[in-house]
Amino acid sequence: MDLWQLLLTLALAGSSDAFSGSEAISPTLDSASQSLQSLNASLGTNSSGKPEFTKCRSPELETFSCHWTDKIQHGLESPGSIQLFYIRSLGANLKQLTSEIQTARKNTQDWTEEWKECPDYVSAGENSCYFNSSYTSIWVPYCIKLTNNGGTVEQKCFSVEEIVQPDPPISLNWTLLNISLTGIHADIQVRWEPPSSADVQKGWIVLEYELQYKQVNETQWKMMDPVMSTSVPVYSLRLDKEYEVRVRSRQRNSEKYGVFSEVLYVTLPQMSSFVCEEDLEFPWFLTTIFGIFGLTAILFVVIFSKQQRIKMLILPPVPVPKIKGIDPDLLKEGKLEEVNTILAIHDHYKPEFYNDDSWVEFIELDIDDLDEKTEGSDTDRLLNSDRQKSLNLLGAKDDDSGRTSCYEPDLLETDFNTSDIDDGTSEVAQPQRLKGEADLLCLDQKNQNKPSYPHASSVTHRPSVIRVEEDKPQPLLTGETESAPQVVPTQINNPSSLANIDFYAQVSDITPAGSVVLSPGQRNKAGTAQSSVHAEEVSLCQANFIADNAYFCESDAKKCIPSAPHTEVKSLTEPRFNQEDIYITTESLTTTAGRSGTVKHTPSSELPVPDYTSIHIVQSPQGLLLNATALPLSDKEFLSSCGYVSTDQLNKIMP
Amino acid sequence: MESKGSSCKGSLLLLLVSNMLLCKNVASVPVCLNGAVSCEKYIKDLFDHAVMQSHYYHVLSTEMFKEFDRRYTQGRELFTNTFNGCHTSSLPTPEDKEQAQQTHSEDLLNLIHSILLSWNDPLYHLVSEVRGLQEAPDAILSRAIEIEDQNRRLIEGMEKITSQVHPGAKENHIYSVWSGLPSLQMADEEARLSAFYNLLRCLRRDSHKIDNFLKLLKCRIAYNNNC
Repeated sequence: MDLWQLLLTLALAGSSDAFSGSEAISPTLDSASQSLQSLNASLGTNSSGKPEFTKCRSPELETFSCHWTDKIQHGLESPGSIQLFYIRSLGANLKQLTSEIQTARKNTQDWTEEWKECPDYVSAGENSCYFNSSYTSIWVPYCIKLTNNGGTVEQKCFSVEEIVQPDPPISLNWTLLNISLTGIHADIQVRWEPPSSADVQKGWIVLEYELQYKQVNETQWKMMDPVMSTSVPVYSLRLDKEYEVRVRSRQRNSEKYGVFSEVLYVTLPQMSSFVCEEDLEFPWFLTTIFGIFGLTAILFVVIFSKQQRIKMLILPPVPVPKIKGIDPDLLKEGKLEEVNTILAIHDHYKPEFYNDDSWVEFIELDIDDLDEKTEGSDTDRLLNSDRQKSLNLLGAKDDDSGRTSCYEPDLLETDFNTSDIDDGTSEVAQPQRLKGEADLLCLDQKNQNKPSYPHASSVTHRPSVIRVEEDKPQPLLTGETESAPQVVPTQINNPSSLANIDFYAQVSDITPAGSVVLSPGQRNKAGTAQSSVHAEEVSLCQANFIADNAYFCESDAKKCIPSAPHTEVKSLTEPRFNQEDIYITTESLTTTAGRSGTVKHTPSSELPVPDYTSIHIVQSPQGLLLNATALPLSDKEFLSSCGYVSTDQLNKIMP
Repeated sequence: MESKGSSCKGSLLLLLVSNMLLCKNVASVPVCLNGAVSCEKYIKDLFDHAVMQSHYYHVLSTEMFKEFDRRYTQGRELFTNTFNGCHTSSLPTPEDKEQAQQTHSEDLLNLIHSILLSWNDPLYHLVSEVRGLQEAPDAILSRAIEIEDQNRRLIEGMEKITSQVHPGAKENHIYSVWSGLPSLQMADEEARLSAFYNLLRCLRRDSHKIDNFLKLLKCRIAYNNNC
């Protein structure tokens, strides 16, 4: 030991000079430990036999213990007793300590009496010193030193809260959380108790834990993140393996963990043998994905290929509703002229949905193309056409040509007398071309273009639009009225585009008397339609008048009046007739009745064409007598279908 | 725990009971007199929040200390074994668990408050002086600024808790004066580093004290000794 002491003294002497200017209060301690450290370094490992501190630790912040190695070189000196001394500053007695240390500076080997010996060399095991709670002060700096036969071997200073290393947790156990559907993996929950020494309940120390686990035959432990709670789930353990689990704890905010707990062995329940190995799993997912891609690719090839046959095979065209003779594209394109033409050809149109509107009536006109139309054919057709058509058409199907407007029965007229007259007249002036559908106001074309209808109608609709369409689409008027109830069929739209359907005439005004004033509109087509209309009129006229339930519209009367169908009326010379023909007042009727051959002129445009008038009497086949007076509205029957009144109804209505 | 010799059993019992109460941990006084749930919840929230803050405070100080040690002092014995003492050592502090458990909650709260007040000034100067350090790393500077804020927040929290737990308590204005500013500005680099080291170590220690006391109080007051 003499050698050590000499070296120590030399070192102290040398270092003390360096620290003369420093404010270190305990330079002796400092230099001593420094020299010791240098000595240690030079001496290398502890095999040289110098006892040194291995660790000092406090498990619960209430006690602490220090351990050292006891390797003394035997033979070099007599085996001395190793002693541990400690000193602690007493807070308020800091100055005392300071002064003590300062005095000790002068005599580095004079340890003051404040150095106390270890109170317990036994409790913590061999080569240890245990400080129980009465000797332990937290937040107080301690210095301990090892002495061997009086000579300081090592010195160490610390504060108790810095050396906290809790005991390991106890009572580890685990429970099964769940097993995966594949039966390969399982989750468990590991629980433990805090070390009994740590007073976590009163909050004196707060611990956090770290769990580690591994398979039994593995060497590397898997670590989990530190947790504050005393239980933690472990996921995805394989069922056919055995695991080891261990937990350790440390004081929160500290770095050093305590020792690990005992190892917990986790043996998971074995599943049945059908458990597949992961290696043998069929890559269902990939297969599905690729399959979908392949199918999609094939589908695209098929769809976009030029091979129509294949296309037809795999993707047969969806049958679309076909109207004989009508190309649906036409309807979409909205070329009303053409559609009207086509519709005119079809004479089986059935506007059923107009059945409800008793006041809706429409006159059906034959709207065959003038070019190809012949008197005979029309007449024949008209004659052959039974009343079914007319009945179906919600009214007398006005096969006659010449009437190009739909009109409403008197009922309507009375209703809309006041309100619509003004509206109609002003709006009537608009050319029907507004939407191209003006012609078809009464046509179901209109119906088809219901949404568009109001636009045109907005201009011209208020007042009823009366269209008389050739046979076809009955609901000329009904459609009209249907879409816009307020469209009193008092208005006759000008047959704009359709040459065939010229029986529309624009109603310029509706007189209170019940007469419709037609405005001079397009007369281009008036003639053409007229011709057909007229032709039909005649035939229809005769036919209708005879039968019961024959509906007689003004147009019918009109038809009857002109006895001579005039196909040549295609010219524009008689446009007016179309417009005004539809509305036939009593006067006009009678007038027309007089001149049978002058259909065209019958309702002269100059005449104030009256509005709807009720059919008063069915006169001779020559014509109808229209009652200028308004008929009672209440009688709905009167308007059973497009306003055509049967003889019976007439009788009822007649005052 | 002495039982006075009393002839009357009743008075003996009374004394025993009173002694037991005295021997129990002090300050088992219920804070919420009528046991109102909202009051208890509020107290719990207050303490939980304060503990979180003090924990963060301690984390900041620990990290700051470690960073400083790593960069400047390297754990040299020159510094590690030097105990210059902390300016807050003069404040009466329980030094172990038993003492802490025997201290009244009010006193503990006041102590915490005093420590925090004592650190107001040093932390303020620490921020400005750290900037003057050679190659001051941002980690230390940012943490210094953060700690200064945290100190203030904790003071507010403590005042709130005190007003809730001890409504009628007189205000606490005791704190230790810090006079270590000159040491932080010394020309001698080693001396200056030593001063810094000491200050940061004291801060770490005091933050641990505050954290511990608050946790103790939390379990005692808000959780009824059953954390």
